[in-house]
Amino acid sequence: MTQAETQSENKLKTRDEVKVAVIACARSVNLEGELSATKLNGVNNCDVIQVPCSGMIQPRMIEAAFNAGADGVIAMGCQIGDCHFREGNKFCRERLLGQRPPMIKKTVPKRRLKGLWMSEVQVDDFKARVEDFKGYVAEQLVEEQKGN
Amino acid sequence: MLTSFVRSGQKVILRIEDTLNKVFSSEQNLLYYHGAMPNFCMWMLFLSGLLLFAYYTPTLEAAYQSVEYITNRLPYGDVIRGIHRYAADAMLLTVILHALRVYFTDRYREYRLIAWYSGVALSVFMLIIGISGYILVWDERSFTIVTKITDFLGSLPFIGSFLASAFLNGDVISNYTMSMSFFLHTGTSFALLVLLWVHYMRISRPVVNVTWAIGSLISGIILLFAGLFPAISGPEAKFTVEPSYFDIDWFYLWLFPLIDTVGNIGAWLVLIAGVTLVTLLPNFVRNHDKEPASVSKDHCVGCRLCSIDCPYEAIYMAPRNDGSKYKEIAVVIDDRCAECGLCVGACNFDAIELPNYKSPQVMDDIRIALQS
Repeated sequence: MTQAETQSENKLKTRDEVKVAVIACARSVNLEGELSATKLNGVNNCDVIQVPCSGMIQPRMIEAAFNAGADGVIAMGCQIGDCHFREGNKFCRERLLGQRPPMIKKTVPKRRLKGLWMSEVQVDDFKARVEDFKGYVAEQLVEEQKGN
Repeated sequence: MLTSFVRSGQKVILRIEDTLNKVFSSEQNLLYYHGAMPNFCMWMLFLSGLLLFAYYTPTLEAAYQSVEYITNRLPYGDVIRGIHRYAADAMLLTVILHALRVYFTDRYREYRLIAWYSGVALSVFMLIIGISGYILVWDERSFTIVTKITDFLGSLPFIGSFLASAFLNGDVISNYTMSMSFFLHTGTSFALLVLLWVHYMRISRPVVNVTWAIGSLISGIILLFAGLFPAISGPEAKFTVEPSYFDIDWFYLWLFPLIDTVGNIGAWLVLIAGVTLVTLLPNFVRNHDKEPASVSKDHCVGCRLCSIDCPYEAIYMAPRNDGSKYKEIAVVIDDRCAECGLCVGACNFDAIELPNYKSPQVMDDIRIALQS
C-alpha cells in the first residue's frame, strides 16, 4: 500500500472505524473481564496492550503501534501523583511531552497520540475517553488530509 | 481474605484521591503528599523546639517557671508553644495516614522492606519523644508520668531496675531526671533524622516537601488549634501531692490509661505484640518469585538513562573493561529491583529488559493485536 492510498483510506474513516491502540499500565484502569484477547469490550477497534507500568512504554512502542496501522495511540498510566512504582507515569508523560529522553521521533503524528492518566476504579470513564479520542482522531485525519 | 480486605481498602483510597484530584488538582492533592506531610510537621517541630530550647531550663526548680515565662512573658511564646504542641499531633495523624496508605496500596513489602521497618522504628521513637516532652513541662501530669514510667520500666524482669534507674538517672527524681528527659526528648529527635535517612535509603528522589498551599493549610490548622485551645501547664508538680485528675493527650499518652487498665506487664505485652505485629505485616503476604531486570552486554552503550530513571536506586553504572568501545555498563542490584520496567522505558537500545516483558515481545504484541 502506498502512502497516498493509506491517506485516502484514512480520509474515509468514521469515528467507529478509527483504530486505536492503548498501551496501558496494568495497574491503572482495571480491565479484568473487559478484554476479549486484546480487544476492549464495548468499544470498536480498540486494542489494549498491558505493561507493568506506564514508565515502561518506550517511544518505539508508540511508533510500532502507528506503523502497524493504528490511527491513534493512547499511553495510559495511573493518575499523575500516584504511581505504584513512584515515578512511572510522570516519566511517561514527560516523554510524551518531549521533555525526557528517549524522545519520540518527529515522524510520529503527535496530534493522534494521547496520554491518559486514570486509576483502577475508572473503567466506565476510560471507555468514554477512548470514544472521545476516536472522534478526535477522525477529525484529525480529515484535518491532516486538508493540510496535504 | 487479607488480600481482598487490602484490595477494597485500596479502592476506597483511589476513589477519595480521584475526588480530591477533581477539587484540588493532582498537584495539590493532600494524599499524594502523605509522606511529605509528616516531614513538614517534623520541621515545624524542630524549628519551634529550637525557639523553646533557647528559654527552657531543665531543672526541677526552674523548669515549670521557664515554661510559664515562655508562655506568658515571651512575645509570641504561647504561639510557639502551641505550634510545638499541635504540630506533634499533626505529625502523628499524618504518619498514621502515611502508614495506612502504603499498607492498603500494597507499597510496604518486598523491595520496600527497609522503608517499612524503619517506619515502625520511627513511630516508636515518636512515642518516646512525645512522652518525654510532657515531662519537661514539670506540672502535676509530668510528675505522674515520671512515677508511672519508672514503675513501668521497673516491672520488666532482669533489666527492669537498670532501665528504671537509668530513666531516673539515679534512685530518686532529681535534676538529673530532668536532664535525662530532656536528652530523651531532643536526642531521640535527632535520631529521627538518622532513621529518616534509612527510611529514604532505597528511594531515588523521595517526595519530602509539600507544596506551598498544603504547607500553608497544615500551618493554618495548627495555628488555629494553638489559638483555640492554648497549650497550658497544669499546677506545678509537688512531690507531696498525687494529682487526682488531668487531661490525657490521646495521641501520645495513651500508654498510661493502658497501664491503669491492664497493668505494667500487660501494657508491655500489648506494646511488644503491637510493634511485632506491625513489623511482621509484610510477612503475611507471599512474595512473588523475583525476576529482576537484566542488562545485555552487547547492547548497553553506557548512556546512564536507566540508572537515572530507576526509582529504587537499583541500577548503577560500572566501568567496563571487556574491550567494548563504551566506557560504562549498567548493573542491576537484583534485591532492590521492583520489576517495574522504568529502565526499559528509558532504554532505546534493547539493552535492559524484564524477563517477562521483553520490549521486542511487547512490540510484537502490539503489531499482532492491531493486525487481528
